[in-house]
Amino acid sequence: MNRRSMLETMGAGLALTGFRALQAADDPLVAKAPHFAPKAKHVIWLFLNGGPSQVDTFDPKPMLDKYHGQPMPTANLRTERKTGTLLKSPFSFKPYGQSGIPVSEIFPKLGERIDEFTVIRSMHTDRPNHEPSLMMLNTGDRLSGRPSMGSWLTYGLGTFNQNLPGFVVLCPGLPVLGPQNWSAGFLPAVHQGTYLPTTEKDPKQLIQFIRNPKLEPAAQRREIDLMRHLNELQIEREGHDRQFEASIQSAEIAFRMQSEAPEAFDISREPEAVRARYGDSDFGRGTLVARRLVERGVRMVQVYFGNFQPWDNHDDIMLHQKLANQADAPIAALIDDLKSSGLLQDTIVIVGGEFGRTPAVEVGGLVKTQNGRDHNNHGFTYLVAGGGFKRGHIHGATDDFGFAAVENKVYIHDFHATLLHQLGLDHTRLTHRHSGRDYRLTDVGGEVVKAILA
Amino acid sequence: MKCLLLIPALLAAAEPGEFFETKVRPVLAKNCYGCHRDAALGGLRLDSREAMLKGGKSGAAITVEQPEQSLLLKAVRQVDDKVKKMPPTGKLTDAEITDLSTWIQQGAIWPASATISKAGKGITPEQRAFWSFQPVKAPEIPAGANAIDHLVQARLAKDALQQAPKADQRTLIRRASVDLTGLPPTPEEVDAFLADQAPNAYAKLLDRLLASPRYGERWGRVWLDVARYSDDLLNSTKEEPYQNSFRYRNWVIDALNQDLPYSDFVKAQIAGDQTGHPAALGFYALSPEMQDDRVDATTRGFLGLTVACATCHDHKFDPIPTRDFYSLQGIFNNTKLAEKELASKETVAQWKALEKRVKEMEEDVTRFYTRQTEMIAEIEGAKTASYLLAAREMGPKDGLDEEILKRWKEYQSQPRKDHRYLDAWFKDPGEKTAHDFQEVVLAINREQREIETRNDYKKGGNTANPDLAQLELESIEYSKYVLWRSLFERSIRDSAGFFASTEGVYFFGKGKVDRFLPAPWQAHAKDLERRLAEAKKALPPKYPFLQIIEDKEKIQDIKISVRGDRNNLGELAPRAFPQILSKQQKLFTKGSGRLELGEAIADPDNPLTARVIVNRIWQQHFGRGIVTTPSNFGQLGERPTHPELLDWLADRFVKQGWSLKQLHRDIMLSETYQLASAGTDQMAANVAKDPDNVLLWRSPRRRLDVESMRDAMLYVSGELDLTPGELAVKLDEPSFKKRTVYGFVGRRRLDTMLALFDFPNPLATSEARMPTNVPPQRLFLMNSPFVEARAQSLAARSEGPLEARVTRLYRQLFGRSPEAKELALAKDFLASGDWTSYTRALLGSNEFLFVN
Repeated sequence: MNRRSMLETMGAGLALTGFRALQAADDPLVAKAPHFAPKAKHVIWLFLNGGPSQVDTFDPKPMLDKYHGQPMPTANLRTERKTGTLLKSPFSFKPYGQSGIPVSEIFPKLGERIDEFTVIRSMHTDRPNHEPSLMMLNTGDRLSGRPSMGSWLTYGLGTFNQNLPGFVVLCPGLPVLGPQNWSAGFLPAVHQGTYLPTTEKDPKQLIQFIRNPKLEPAAQRREIDLMRHLNELQIEREGHDRQFEASIQSAEIAFRMQSEAPEAFDISREPEAVRARYGDSDFGRGTLVARRLVERGVRMVQVYFGNFQPWDNHDDIMLHQKLANQADAPIAALIDDLKSSGLLQDTIVIVGGEFGRTPAVEVGGLVKTQNGRDHNNHGFTYLVAGGGFKRGHIHGATDDFGFAAVENKVYIHDFHATLLHQLGLDHTRLTHRHSGRDYRLTDVGGEVVKAILA
Repeated sequence: MKCLLLIPALLAAAEPGEFFETKVRPVLAKNCYGCHRDAALGGLRLDSREAMLKGGKSGAAITVEQPEQSLLLKAVRQVDDKVKKMPPTGKLTDAEITDLSTWIQQGAIWPASATISKAGKGITPEQRAFWSFQPVKAPEIPAGANAIDHLVQARLAKDALQQAPKADQRTLIRRASVDLTGLPPTPEEVDAFLADQAPNAYAKLLDRLLASPRYGERWGRVWLDVARYSDDLLNSTKEEPYQNSFRYRNWVIDALNQDLPYSDFVKAQIAGDQTGHPAALGFYALSPEMQDDRVDATTRGFLGLTVACATCHDHKFDPIPTRDFYSLQGIFNNTKLAEKELASKETVAQWKALEKRVKEMEEDVTRFYTRQTEMIAEIEGAKTASYLLAAREMGPKDGLDEEILKRWKEYQSQPRKDHRYLDAWFKDPGEKTAHDFQEVVLAINREQREIETRNDYKKGGNTANPDLAQLELESIEYSKYVLWRSLFERSIRDSAGFFASTEGVYFFGKGKVDRFLPAPWQAHAKDLERRLAEAKKALPPKYPFLQIIEDKEKIQDIKISVRGDRNNLGELAPRAFPQILSKQQKLFTKGSGRLELGEAIADPDNPLTARVIVNRIWQQHFGRGIVTTPSNFGQLGERPTHPELLDWLADRFVKQGWSLKQLHRDIMLSETYQLASAGTDQMAANVAKDPDNVLLWRSPRRRLDVESMRDAMLYVSGELDLTPGELAVKLDEPSFKKRTVYGFVGRRRLDTMLALFDFPNPLATSEARMPTNVPPQRLFLMNSPFVEARAQSLAARSEGPLEARVTRLYRQLFGRSPEAKELALAKDFLASGDWTSYTRALLGSNEFLFVN
């Protein structure tokens, strides 16, 4: 048997048995065929962490005005803290676009692009606390330790640009729970989200160890060539081994990454006018980087709006105005850019947080005023654009006061199943065997929400 | 069936039994059974037709003759004030109520098969017969044969696989050294071993390596993966280390170095407070305080059983009823986190007293300034009209504070957008509007202060951590609050940095308020500050202590959470060991039952414990376990590739007093361990039949794990600090040169190098590391300051002519001399004179990073 047929035999053996230690020899990030023809290839998830209020943004409730200051006529569901009487939205709504979907005055630019979105008004999850809800949205389980959606995507689909990470997470600092939100869990560590701080403006600092400050590229090329020679001599001596070859290969890719990766993160290469549209905020810069990464083949980018949990306005819902003011322009700019480049049809743009907020005012908080809302897992809104989702469409509804999802409810597993479906993955078949059990993003649930697909 | 008065269209198709199962029973189970099944509140049970017809204290729950009069319907419709509204937690959906109504109208059909089984399903004989629950049975081994070799070779022969030749001595010493100590051999050690012609040279080598303190550092880390060890607090908003986490880590290292019998090692970590090993309790005390994590880590870690799968339902595949999960959880539920002081009672008492004093002094200072701030605001607030007028040059400035006046000028320089209380003033500035406004300001401030007082009262003094779900606090009307904040409140910032209000006009906090105070008060403030500073100075660093768990004073069994829902409690689950592992299930009675749990796990008759640990050790030596799911020996785990070998190892392990060092010796003295890792080209037939080397026809080739990689680099460059570490140090700290096991392991943020090189997620127990080979790892090897520094030191280590230097490097890194081709490459490359680049290439080469 010659060396070539030997390798082929080995490859077949590997495919059948998948022995972990040798699995590493295959590059796990090479783009792989999905289960069926995909509608989308990329995901940009703009994560409004802290929990934006649905009744102040995309789910207007006239009954709140009518019953303002009165106790909720129906049962007040349990949330994290005690809530009191109903609190009307301080913001006005008006219909936008051809669809006439109403959007709050605090999102005027997004409003003008609402025809690009499906507005899911009937999301719901299990717990009224940040941590389990962040885990649900990101990993499909309340507890920490499972792989995040981005990890599942690069695990199942690989990525298109081997010189860049396949799953990138941007945040100025860290959101609540930090890296657990983009953990690879029990998947190989290579699928973990690559976190980059959006406050860092020098693209060379963005990726760890992306350059050697003391070595010119030509000198480094010589060093890598030397190492390659030594490795080849070893193969001559000891025989063939896929692990050896994979190691040589990844050194070559790493060498190329050094020049290509920083360019992708360098938004100073964007025209002034483009940068102005996104705004000089952390979220604006992050969103612009996300666009550049997806243009270069990155599978998924998640942009956290800010550190900790900015949208968590327990005390004063008026703060939503300031937050929306920073969120509005970048979202609009991203939609415009992806649309004009044609990438929007390949890219799912997701806008939403870990849950919504109560229609009733919070009274149990340690605050001096009662003009805010508590966490609400019973009903909240998500926006989805591009990637084969319906345009200008509203799906599902909350009750009269915007508290609980009541119509066409979408559970997180359903949401994940639908996103995977658009990416060409059957959520029941995207599994990983760990400690004797097949795990998946949607655990044992999840139905594709066909009604929101174009 | 009764005559139906009304049949809703939606029902037409549904068969009554199916309708009950899909529409009615789930509603009853979810909303009613918490109180109206076993608990039978109000004498009412809702778990059979008979019970419903019989009803409770208020009468029959359902009336089939007059369905609409059924109490059950009235209760869930919540419109009849005479009937208690049910369920108390909220209201059923309209659809659910309609379904209940329909069901009663249809005659309340309760299918015969639908009596709810109370206990979980029993354990079947088939389940009991599963391999891992059978007693360990050592196979017969022919006299004089090495058992491991005999069993492995028998299996190879079955598939006509040929074993690779024995590895050469040089390979062997490197393999054994890296395996047992995580460090490559020195050139001198290699020379000595090659020169030793004694027949027991290799056995002596193993003895030397096993006796080295480096052994515990390498193998302790293997256990720390299982123990999900980390150095920081999870439930914290900042990166906070546990000051004493290292005491558990070092206990593990020491226990392995001393070859503490594994049975004692197990018991110590579960009940070390009762076996003389309190430090071992870090196994639980350093992990997130989630009870299911504890059951999970205990059962997967020690037993290879996934008991946590039975949290919501009986285990789908293994004979583990839900009750077993709660029986174990009950043990941990009866424990609490604690600190065990490692200092004399006097020292502890003294420290606590000093700490208390600091806290009290801090409170004094805060209270003093809060009061002064409020008082000054009140005094100056009473001059609001004068300030308004003076700010517009319409009144005298006598008795007014310049700073406040400046603030007022700024405040009313533009019309206010945030409130309307100054509208009248802006329209018609004058005495009247100024005084009217002042009245409003004083009234609102008074109202706010009263509300604060009442709220403080409601918090019951527990201002730091009150129950926010229950607490109903009051607040001033929002528009009033906006005015109040702008005059009296400190500057408020949200934690994410998106909002900040300016300081109120009358607000002067600590530091700024002092100038308003009379001299004696200022002296008093200074005195308070001085005393606080003194108290802080007198407080020494906290005494050392162990992070442990201990039993609660009052021991209570817990109830099953039906479907994992803590609001829906089922039967009691007394503390006990899983039924499948108990001949007769004996309840645990000593305290929480931890020691009994530890004893049950470490019982020589327990079929899992020894099998699981010998498999973990085997996995480290051969790259894969005999069972390749080391933490799952259940139905869904893999079956052993060599069941008899596993049992022989387990049996011998227990007979040798649970000695891990003896186990290493047994494994490493076998020929199987000493095979060459023959390049795959040479053994084509084997590769075709068994490409993954499942049947062990050769020794596996493995990349160094991240600890061995970092340690080996420091070691060959002559920089490794071999003194044991204590408090963990961040690995990216350049001066930190102790072994990697002593570095900081962060749950919140894992060190970049660890994360790059396949370190397991410390949030849960880990059964294996998954080696990857990806470009970012190569970036670390090419560009990181760490490798750069090692390459430099390594280059500086050798002197003299080029050939001698290169030879010295080869001996240090690879335990051999360079070949002619390699020397030629070196000469060619080093024409540039860049030795650091050369040594970095060697450190990044496969020969250095892999073990044959």
